[in-house]
Amino acid sequence: MRPAQDNQGSFLGRISIRRNQFTDVNTEQEQEDLELFQKHIADRFTELLTPPPPPQPPSDETDTVASVAATEQIMSVTWLRKLMDVFLCCEAEFKAILLMGRDPTQISKPPFDRLVPEMLDRSIKALDICTAVVNGIDSVRHYQRLAEIAVAALEQRPLGDGNVRRAKRALANLLIALSIEDKENVSSGGGGNKTVERSWSFGRRGGGSSAASKGGATIGQLKSSSWAVGRNWSAAKQIHAMTANLTPPRGNEAAGLPLPMFIMSTVTVFVMWVLTAAVPCQERAGLANHLPVPKHLNWAQSLVGIHEKIGDEWKKKEKKGSAGLMEEMTRMEKLGHSLIEFADGFHYPAEKEAAESAAAQVAEMAEICRRMEEELVPLQQQIREVFHRIVRSRAEILEVLEQAGKLSAPVV
Amino acid sequence: MEKNDDKDPDHNDKSIIEEKADVVSDAHPPDESDGNSKENVDVGNAETEHNPEDNVESQGEEIQQTLESLSEELDQLLSSLSLHKEEHKDDNTEEKEKGDQEDDDYFQIPQFVGKFLDLLEDKLSKYDSGEPKTVWYQDQEEVSSLLEAVDRVSNLMRLLLNTKSCLDHHEPLINHAGSIQQRAMAFLEDEFRILLEESVIKETTDDTGSQRKSTEDAVVSQDNDQVTAPEPGDQEIEYPGYSEDVVALLRKIAEKMKAGGYGWECREVYLVGRRNILMRTLKQDCEFEKVSIDEVQKMSWGELEREIPIWTKTFKNCSSLFFPGEVKLAEKIFPGDEGSLFCIVAHGLTIQFLGFAEAVAMTKRSTEKLFKILDIYETLRDSFPPMEELFPEELRSELRNEVTSVRSRLGESAINIFSDLENSIKSDSSKTPVPGGAVHPLTRYTMNYLKYSCEYKDTLEQVFKSHSKMEQEEEEVPANNSACSAFASQLMRIMDLLDGNMEAKSKLYKDIPLSCIFMMNNGRYIVQKIKGSAEIHEVMGDTWCRRRSSELRNYHKSNQRETWGNLLGFLGHEGLMHNGKIVKPNLKERFKSFNATFDEIHKTQTTWVINDEQLQSELRVSITAVMIPAYRAFMARFGQYLDPGRQTEKYVKYQPEDIEDLIDELFDGNTSSSSTATAKRRT
Repeated sequence: MRPAQDNQGSFLGRISIRRNQFTDVNTEQEQEDLELFQKHIADRFTELLTPPPPPQPPSDETDTVASVAATEQIMSVTWLRKLMDVFLCCEAEFKAILLMGRDPTQISKPPFDRLVPEMLDRSIKALDICTAVVNGIDSVRHYQRLAEIAVAALEQRPLGDGNVRRAKRALANLLIALSIEDKENVSSGGGGNKTVERSWSFGRRGGGSSAASKGGATIGQLKSSSWAVGRNWSAAKQIHAMTANLTPPRGNEAAGLPLPMFIMSTVTVFVMWVLTAAVPCQERAGLANHLPVPKHLNWAQSLVGIHEKIGDEWKKKEKKGSAGLMEEMTRMEKLGHSLIEFADGFHYPAEKEAAESAAAQVAEMAEICRRMEEELVPLQQQIREVFHRIVRSRAEILEVLEQAGKLSAPVV
Repeated sequence: MEKNDDKDPDHNDKSIIEEKADVVSDAHPPDESDGNSKENVDVGNAETEHNPEDNVESQGEEIQQTLESLSEELDQLLSSLSLHKEEHKDDNTEEKEKGDQEDDDYFQIPQFVGKFLDLLEDKLSKYDSGEPKTVWYQDQEEVSSLLEAVDRVSNLMRLLLNTKSCLDHHEPLINHAGSIQQRAMAFLEDEFRILLEESVIKETTDDTGSQRKSTEDAVVSQDNDQVTAPEPGDQEIEYPGYSEDVVALLRKIAEKMKAGGYGWECREVYLVGRRNILMRTLKQDCEFEKVSIDEVQKMSWGELEREIPIWTKTFKNCSSLFFPGEVKLAEKIFPGDEGSLFCIVAHGLTIQFLGFAEAVAMTKRSTEKLFKILDIYETLRDSFPPMEELFPEELRSELRNEVTSVRSRLGESAINIFSDLENSIKSDSSKTPVPGGAVHPLTRYTMNYLKYSCEYKDTLEQVFKSHSKMEQEEEEVPANNSACSAFASQLMRIMDLLDGNMEAKSKLYKDIPLSCIFMMNNGRYIVQKIKGSAEIHEVMGDTWCRRRSSELRNYHKSNQRETWGNLLGFLGHEGLMHNGKIVKPNLKERFKSFNATFDEIHKTQTTWVINDEQLQSELRVSITAVMIPAYRAFMARFGQYLDPGRQTEKYVKYQPEDIEDLIDELFDGNTSSSSTATAKRRT
């Protein structure tokens, strides 16, 4: 289905022709535009890497005040929203460079007859990732609602056994959800889920033991089918495919239009990679390690920096099986664990010290929920916007190609 | 003590016993000694002597004490407590300031409250141990007993928590009651989930699923009978397939949980359950499975062609059945909250549906895809508006925008397919003439395609009207003049292109009459196709058809002139008479020429093809009508001059009847050419 690859044999033979064409294309104006584009990319990602309030290392003891300061920390919802804005800006600028004032035939000639379809193919894959991530955010909202239940229960005064058990039940559900979303989809929702669930929930009907008093997790999980993108779809495979033919332009090409195309594709892949890292996403095994980003290019420095930070975090988490690296989710998970601990050790009446420390954690959890409540839906909408932008741009590029008359209907 | 054994086998066991001690002590005025109440517990509530006025009827018959028997008392207590609270509401603020007056606000919690809680706990423990052999929700008595008890606990909790003196003096009781409330709520939550997932009366099994698939056939009524058979008299059994009793119970549980402050748990169970059930239903009933955009691009058209009807069916069913069913169910169980619940259940799925449509619009364009693309377009046009209504206001415009953009992409695709068709007609420059001047495959293909596309006439008119880019401005003028639609002018344009192409192709024939035949064949085919389908006829209009028919007649005439005019020339009288005498050699020459020419015409034109039978006979009839009288007259006039016998036999090869027969052999597409005129004559 990919003609681009079929062309590769004859591609070499055409290099000399191509070179000649290039010297015409590289006007001074274009050079200027390209440099500006690279500078903007660099600036935008630098701002993302070092957000205005200096990031504070999150720790278990982070209290509410510190966490507020960390709002714009890498992978927080707010940060992800900024990332979406950055993507939209880069995309708009790129499209202007690619299409505005350009003779349509230029982008239908080699090497663009290969580069453009490849780029369009990447954009198709990005669309599916957008859909997967939007679904993933639905799952995060489910976690948020579970956390809200725990918060509401633990905010009750006087804090009694019932409240604590109620919170524990919700938290147990939350932690299962956080830890199995990913795994569950590897095994396409089969037995893996059940074993985990069984360890929490003591089947009331089956066994003779009591589930209710234990606060077992029983709300049940959204089965993979309800949020997956497609039966055999895998985020990891798609990201791999997007990077498979993504190589920096060389020689004469490096100075021309192939460069911004490479940059934009890299940005797209990177953003998609971040999104799949952030929220539950269907099948992403091995993604923590795999994302070739160009190391020595000026425009990519900050992007590489962000990539390394997230990659390190991901590798740590991957073994445990985590639903997502969204900053709020990882904190939610930590708080969930320590609040479950609190619940396990709880005896009525509450010990003052333990209760106070739990109260601080509850307040932090409440704050996380509040932020999720405020920002998840807008983030979801932004991702839909990214989706539509990609669709539109793809259509515009195809239209130009059609005008060029060379590729009346490219297979992508 | 033995009643505790099956209750809490976990590590909290001890603490709970301790709490119970506290609780029961709490059920007495605070000045009672702890020792007494502990005794109380240890003997399993057998001793209730401390508050005789509260426990008159329970004395000596504590075994008969049930939740029900205590309920009335508890209700009385609760109402008096709330009355009490009401009375003190106004001067509450004052009292807070006077610390020692708080005791006035204090009321004693009778011991039976603790007893009531114990009984409820027993009940819950029994359920948890799986002791009752019946399913809880199927046992009416158990259901109402538990629900009422839960109600009372919730009311009790509310009062306790909202009354300052209780908070001050009865915290252990609050803890105990809260703990039991939590157990009860957890139990209800589980039951709610089980009920939601397991009590669907007709979760379409494979059996009925396949029957439903064939409802397009004539078995509709039988099928319906079967579907409704299991639960006669219940009208609401369609989707989601719960009996009214089940729905009523779900609602009651939801109400009780909400009243006790556990509404969020109930909602969450509902949401997770419904999403899973809905997906399962779509898979079972419609064979729907999510397909990624990338996959759609990679599918062969054959595969995608099978996916699209599944999609349209699913989307239509969601719009007319599944989504309304979800809203109705949410409305019944969580009245007032159905909008937000429905959104969470259905919004992601709706986005997924639109993604598929988008994906199809993105696939490589080809003419064969038009009809399926229009199917999707129509489905969105017809089934989305009712679906949209189900979503709350704030989501509607977002979804509507999504649908609008998908529809315009599909519409543009459809329009582009027509211009692709135009281009392919323009660029079809095959140089091989169709043998015998028969209908060209391009004409066949184009006409069948157009005829089929006119079955989507109204949709296409709409598509052209709403999604055309303004690049076809030159088309505007004739469109306005003849008041015909953009789609009609598109069709005209294609027809004109087809005509142009056919005319060019007709030049490939060296024989002018054959190129006439070719034009007649193609023209006739086009007219017949258009007349044969009301839709396309309507689009092209009568004027167009009349014009085409008259063009056809012209070809007919010029064919006749080219071929038969020449032959008729041999039958003229000129040059045969000289000074009133017949010039015999000339006459012989005439006959010879006539025969030779006729044989030649017959030989070639029997290989020519006229596909349309009517046209074929029309043409033969009109040739006969010209030729036969002329030949007869010629024979009558000059036949006598040839010597009978040898000479006549030599020169008069054909009798008029023979000519007639031979004309009837023309345009048969007979390429075997073994049937020469001579051979034919003898048969």
